[in-house]
Amino acid sequence: MLMFAIRRILVSIPVLIGITAILFVMLNVIPGDPVALLMKEHASPEVIARVTAQMHLDDPLWTRYFRFLSGALQGDLGTSIKLNRSVTSLIMKAFPNTLYLAACAAVVSWIIGIPAGILSAVRRDSFIDRFFMGFSLLGVSMPIFWSALLMQYIFALKLKWLPVSGFYGFEYVIMPAIVLGWSSAGVIARLTRSSLLEVMRHDYIRTARAKGLREVGVISGHALKNALIPVVTIMAIQIASLLSGAVITEAIFGIPGVGRISINAIQARDMPLLQGSVLFATVLVILGNLVADILYSILDPRIRSQMGRGKP
Amino acid sequence: MKNKVRLLLASGIASLALMSPAIADQMLRISYTDDPKSADVQMTTDYYTLPLNVYDRLIEAETTGPGTSALVPGLAESWEVSDDGLVYTFHLRQGVKFHDGAELTADDVVYTFDRMLNPETRALGTDILNFVAGAQDRLDGKADTVTGLNAIDKYTVQLTLSQPYAAFLALMASPQASIYNRAFTEAAGDQFGLTPETTNGTGPFILQSYELNDSQMLVANKDYFRGAPKLDRILIRVISDSETLRLLFETDEIDVFDMDYASSQTPYFYASDTWKDQIRSGPRVGMYYYHINQAIKPFDDVRVRKAFQMAINREQILEKNFYGKGQLENGVMPRGLSCYEPATPIEYNPAKAKELLAEAGYPDGVEITLAQVSSWSSKWSDMNQIIQAQAAEAGFTVKIKTMDEAAYFAQRKAGAIDAYTQSWSADFNDPDNFFYTFFSEPGTKVRAFNNMDQEVFDGIEKARSMTDPEARCALYRELGERIVQTDAAWVPLFSLDHSYVVQPRVKNFVVPWNGWSDMNYYKMEIAE
Repeated sequence: MLMFAIRRILVSIPVLIGITAILFVMLNVIPGDPVALLMKEHASPEVIARVTAQMHLDDPLWTRYFRFLSGALQGDLGTSIKLNRSVTSLIMKAFPNTLYLAACAAVVSWIIGIPAGILSAVRRDSFIDRFFMGFSLLGVSMPIFWSALLMQYIFALKLKWLPVSGFYGFEYVIMPAIVLGWSSAGVIARLTRSSLLEVMRHDYIRTARAKGLREVGVISGHALKNALIPVVTIMAIQIASLLSGAVITEAIFGIPGVGRISINAIQARDMPLLQGSVLFATVLVILGNLVADILYSILDPRIRSQMGRGKP
Repeated sequence: MKNKVRLLLASGIASLALMSPAIADQMLRISYTDDPKSADVQMTTDYYTLPLNVYDRLIEAETTGPGTSALVPGLAESWEVSDDGLVYTFHLRQGVKFHDGAELTADDVVYTFDRMLNPETRALGTDILNFVAGAQDRLDGKADTVTGLNAIDKYTVQLTLSQPYAAFLALMASPQASIYNRAFTEAAGDQFGLTPETTNGTGPFILQSYELNDSQMLVANKDYFRGAPKLDRILIRVISDSETLRLLFETDEIDVFDMDYASSQTPYFYASDTWKDQIRSGPRVGMYYYHINQAIKPFDDVRVRKAFQMAINREQILEKNFYGKGQLENGVMPRGLSCYEPATPIEYNPAKAKELLAEAGYPDGVEITLAQVSSWSSKWSDMNQIIQAQAAEAGFTVKIKTMDEAAYFAQRKAGAIDAYTQSWSADFNDPDNFFYTFFSEPGTKVRAFNNMDQEVFDGIEKARSMTDPEARCALYRELGERIVQTDAAWVPLFSLDHSYVVQPRVKNFVVPWNGWSDMNYYKMEIAE
């Protein structure tokens, strides 16, 4: 298992280098000038030229890329052009906020998603099934900016139960967590439902029923254990994607997280900051996948034996 | 629970204030659409709220009435200008203390301006010191000091210019000219202005907390040299979404709603019985305009440019899009700017515009492109769509090209951008702030007007150093007529009012002379 994890981490190094290289080239191909953007309406040609040279932004592309790479290897992601602060410190300061939001959103999505999926599967084609599947479809398909506004309108402006926006305590994270969690809950509910339906067709379920087990026992003791394997995998990957940037949610609810930083960086063509946040997000996604694989192997002995043979 | 505690700690003092809506002390809660990045004004060319409240200038531009201002003593008690207009001597107020307790001296002033010109600072606002003798050498790294910056004694500082520059005093009152403390700022190095611990000024408010992308908190400087401010604290929140901003204002979590951030809400507030009496409005010394790029066909032909001017029904845009809150402008200078006088009106005449196009060789009309930025307020794209419809009548087929901000500024800097609409508000009260910005040789290129009129270039340079105010104003008016009527280099649209809605508890809210969103809150109060 340890070897497997180490191998996976080693394999991801070229992935990281590839992603940063592609990003570097992409950002240089699309039009944009970070210094002109810093000055906006007050652009003065002399100042732009001078500051560009002072920041070494006029160096050749490969020089800048290798400077970034060698810095990154030493743990220094450089200094943000727009915010004038160390990229590492910016991300590290924003990450706990994003982590908090993502954790709350994940909990919301599990609390809604898993029971909804189970109920829908057990009461297949009933009203409950249709209701929950409709509800999850709504969560998946409703744009976040819309559900966010709707919630702000109802719960903050009309009912005055929750604050509109900001990040100053638990009550501030309730709405964004529900908005964000709802959209993942849909995916989890659908997956739980289909996976459970699939498992319920197997012979050992029939055997369990034949033994005289009650339906609740069949589902909780036998079916769920196997049905939730793909769900757990999705959950691990989903947390990674929640962490790597709930961009819109963070903007609407004023949460100073990693998503806000990434959007700042793209808009400002702030190469060091963007590189840093993309690198960070990539690492999270890779780690999320790794955790998913490891969880999978713990839950499913067949996978574990494959890992042992070196075939992940 | 652990998380909650951590969060509370992380968000600092701002959190405590926000969690109790019933605010005991005099706290004003305002908002910004973006993080100001730094309190170091030398590192920014917009975001002036922190500098205007944390620091002082040698001279201040005081709002004396709607749209009018006067230069009044700030850190300098008095000043003299030599007869040749080259030497400015400032006599500092004695006993002024920085927030860290250090006393202000002439050396701090010399240090501040030298720091701006020091290439290691990478300052963005260096233009204000362009005329100080030796500034260029310092910027180029050819000198370690600036010859034109001298401390005569502890409380007297002298600035020598390389050529007379009539707008210099007005510039010394701009936020860019905020004064720092040498010892503190040197010690803070490149961290100056990034945190409360590394920020120090003489101003009425002290930076107490700074949470990036979230908020800044200012507290009253009880030892302020003009007397302690009425407000105890100012909370500045970063709220990028305009709909969220309105909800926050309506749920009484924000005290001032700046309609500039959400102009689409204007009719709502003017029609609301709750809010219409809470609107505070003032003229903006600023100009909305359409830019024309003469390097792109068919705008290389003056007849096409004139036709474009005549094809736009500005009155209609002012009425429909801005609810009539402003006045039409026909020159380069907007109302409220020194030397302003109404210019020759631009006629709205689509029939004549069509004739001009035919004369220019486009009898069947011509295609033009307007550029716009996706992330900007919808007021700009609305305006482009109106123009698209209006100009069609005169024979222009208008295409609209949307791009992101970075692409827009990059193309503009390269002189290659299509026509666009924008506004400009005065940084300092002098026509140079408009003429030099748009129609000087470097200005016309970097803004992609490409109006290569040597007579205009020479006139603008000449006016900068003229010392006779009347002759100087006359020259500016002449240049304005030439630019708008002869060259047809841009389309002046209108100057607008700037409106805010304030909570009833906010007292003494005065729209600043230039109509900026950024202002000094020293005189504002909160009713108990």
